[in-house]
Amino acid sequence: MLRTFQKVLLCAAACGIGAIASVAPAEELLPADRPIPEVVDHYIDAELQKREITPAAQVGDHEVIRRITLDLAGRIPTVAEVQAYVQSSDPNKRVQLVDRLLGLPDFALHQRNVLDQLLAGSDRMENAWREYLLVACQENRPWDVMFREMMLTEESQSSPGALGFLKSRAKDLDRMTGDTSSIFFGVDISCAKCHDHPLVSDWLQDHYFGLQSFFSRTYLTKANFLAESDEGDVKFKTTAGETKSAQLMFLTGTVITEPEAPQRSEEEKKQRKEELAKLDEQKQPHPVPQYSRRAALVDVALRPGERDFFARAAVNRVWHRLFGWGLVNPIDQMHSGNPPLHPELLDWLARDFIEHGYDLKRLIRGLVLSQAYSRSSIWLEGERPDRDLFAVANVKPLTPRQLGVSLDLASRNQATMPEIGADKWQEFIAGRENRAGRFSTWIEVPTDDFQVSVTEALYFSNNAEIVNEFLSTANDRLISQLVGQEDREAGLQMAALNVLSRPLDAEELTLFKNYLAQREDNLTGAWQQVLWAMMTSPEFRFNH
Amino acid sequence: MANRRANFCGSEDHLIHRRGFLGAAAAAGAFAANMGVLNVLRSQPLASELKRQQKHVILLWLAGGSSQLETWDPKPGHENGGPFRAIETNVPGVHISELMPKMAQRMHTTCLIRSLNTRNADHGGGAELMERGRRDEPTVKYPDLGAIVARELGRPDSEVPDYVSMYTTAEGRRKGSAGFLGARYAPMFLDKDLMPANIRRLEQISDLDHQQRGELRQVLGERFARGRGSHSVDSHNSAYKRVRGLMASEKLFDVSLEPQQYRDAYGPTQFGEQVLVARRLIEAGVPFVKVARGWWDSHGQNFETHLELVTELDHVMSTLIDDLEARGLLEHTLIITLGEFGRTPRINPSLGRDHFASAWSCSLTGCGIKGGSVWGKTSPDGMSVVDGEVGAGELFATIFQALGIDHKKDYYLGSRPIPLTNPGTEPIRDVLA
Repeated sequence: MLRTFQKVLLCAAACGIGAIASVAPAEELLPADRPIPEVVDHYIDAELQKREITPAAQVGDHEVIRRITLDLAGRIPTVAEVQAYVQSSDPNKRVQLVDRLLGLPDFALHQRNVLDQLLAGSDRMENAWREYLLVACQENRPWDVMFREMMLTEESQSSPGALGFLKSRAKDLDRMTGDTSSIFFGVDISCAKCHDHPLVSDWLQDHYFGLQSFFSRTYLTKANFLAESDEGDVKFKTTAGETKSAQLMFLTGTVITEPEAPQRSEEEKKQRKEELAKLDEQKQPHPVPQYSRRAALVDVALRPGERDFFARAAVNRVWHRLFGWGLVNPIDQMHSGNPPLHPELLDWLARDFIEHGYDLKRLIRGLVLSQAYSRSSIWLEGERPDRDLFAVANVKPLTPRQLGVSLDLASRNQATMPEIGADKWQEFIAGRENRAGRFSTWIEVPTDDFQVSVTEALYFSNNAEIVNEFLSTANDRLISQLVGQEDREAGLQMAALNVLSRPLDAEELTLFKNYLAQREDNLTGAWQQVLWAMMTSPEFRFNH
Repeated sequence: MANRRANFCGSEDHLIHRRGFLGAAAAAGAFAANMGVLNVLRSQPLASELKRQQKHVILLWLAGGSSQLETWDPKPGHENGGPFRAIETNVPGVHISELMPKMAQRMHTTCLIRSLNTRNADHGGGAELMERGRRDEPTVKYPDLGAIVARELGRPDSEVPDYVSMYTTAEGRRKGSAGFLGARYAPMFLDKDLMPANIRRLEQISDLDHQQRGELRQVLGERFARGRGSHSVDSHNSAYKRVRGLMASEKLFDVSLEPQQYRDAYGPTQFGEQVLVARRLIEAGVPFVKVARGWWDSHGQNFETHLELVTELDHVMSTLIDDLEARGLLEHTLIITLGEFGRTPRINPSLGRDHFASAWSCSLTGCGIKGGSVWGKTSPDGMSVVDGEVGAGELFATIFQALGIDHKKDYYLGSRPIPLTNPGTEPIRDVLA
């Protein structure tokens, strides 16, 4: 541990790192008006050329549409979508695909789930929270606006959903501070709570408690409203044993001066207490303070010169989600001791994100149109390049909901589904999506270096839900189509397109045909086993 | 560059051979050849020597918090002492509660730690602390003891589960957590009956179909994994590979397969049966089994409660020790008897004892332990530790050392090194063999 510590310090000294978020001068970056995909490929390819690495080839149509559809719509493509894409000879078809998917209700549903997982994790949330996120995603609300809403929406009788982020953490000041910092600013500074950060010379206890001070007056009322007091300070004990009063300090070291807290006489204090108790009794929220520390945080975090933490954290998270690995990793360690391999790219994207009004959809669109995004995930010859070079794609485990919805589509007789984009489609996909929520019992939420549990494998192997739902012979299920197929090969290709979004190759065809041939005694059962094998293959379990 | 870690995943180096029956000619025959069911029980005698060297842990978790005064640290004659006497043990000078006459005759196998001060007397927080050896940080979820032992002592391709957790009483049911180690090390959790979920084949699918579709899946899986260089994909394939072995281990959970004399010895209680299952599991190679026994939270009628529960614990724990010893497994198996905290020495008006974390006890038996040793001392009224105070960290360091695991070993969470116990934590060397 000590050695790592020294190494970092040495590096920090040698590189002369002082500022926390170092942003290159604007004139050294590519011009702001260049399209995002071009800029991504420019910087990623430059690093590969420098290292004389030839990146993996671009994937074919079948893989492109599966990858993009899973990332944007949160589900596998339907057979009709795959066929239309593969058969189109329009040179612009990838752009059209991306724009079509971004316009589907599926995108907002998926984006909501991604944000819900990021912001709420496994916390139990009120319905209003998920509704808030869905509407925000449908409107493509800017990220800075959402941040402001989550931090600052005023309470009313029906507590606004946006406040869910803080309300679920309001009883734990460390969580409010730590999670806000990790999620919105890309830095986990919890080490600095007990001592100055051992790996990052930039962060002192002053920073931790400084950030904590922005939340220290926030509390939940007895009637379960979020409120903020107008007095109270954070005191902490330094490692030297000295007791210090925390300043209102942002991660950049900027200190906010605030008006004096009101001085109240004993009589006034008593009166105030009674007033608040009365509000609790009437199930009313507490009054908003004259000076809000949380408002001060939002203000400083989005101010020019300070907002790089906010913008870079969002860019890195979106990148991580689409590329399976961040420009900076771990994604909550965006500090000077852990620089990105492509600093200009991160700077350019952050600048673009700010200049275009923190538009998440625009950023997502730009990234999935790059060549770097659509490389193959296969690397056969020689040592696989480091993940942060993006020379070869990373496979990404599906989330429980992505997997649940995709299983449903994969095992469906797709002729019985509403047409994509029609009014009924929204209802249909939202229903599938909702039902997929139950998968979180058996399927873990993806993390870096994710591992599949035996609980999951046992569930797919032996739980009655799998057989009764996905392998059912009912008319709306794929099995009913396969069983009626005279032509085995056509049946196998239909299954493969349904499940894997691609046709089988010759070896696979032989394997399955031989299997079916020895199961003439029970062909329905045999088709069920074939479908099961495809649906439980890692090719289905991952986005690749 | 300081924090960029090399990518060590040399998956290309150990590519799995493509199945022989992919070729048209080989197809039919290969299925037949692959049909041997993996049977853990059958492989037992063969692997006995290897298994004996493997180390195991059985954690007897006394959920709700047992009283140290009615178990390992009696205070006879003091007003806090309660109605029960202290008795001599087969280790001169060591006395324990008269509720544990059988353990008194087996004290040479066990060490007592009487000086735990863990400062957290809340069920949730206390349990978390004693399961993980330290408190979570806001952004670091620590793995519990079972997950760490599974990772350190389990085999990656094991056909048996490597962490089984049994908890059937409703009180404070806790799932256990693999924390940052990830789902691979999460416990197989038995909360409803003695059988794990989804371990039995559905009746509507034949064993042959179950086997063959697994073979088909494996072909697809291995083809896909090729060149992907992904531990996640590999873990998917290995999880499915473990399914048949885990299903075969269903028999391990079936106490009716155990000779009647052993069932009688452990007794007909649920706790007795679960501990018997635990013995069956570790005998088959499972590194970590936790059996939780509830209802220790005796805020009222502490003495009636403990008369019943300690008597059962004394009987079951002694039977387990004898059974493991007879099988030559005791020296490789560590039995930990522990809860989230102890109970207040002061007796409350309902004749109960409340939560108490300032001066309490636990015991370690078997593997790596100096039997008959006693660490630490509490004051005559039991209210405080007067000698050898230790916390959860020291206890965990001791457990790791007893198992031959370096308690200073680092895991990495991204770039951040996380030692198994917090820096500066030392094991209690006096109780280690």
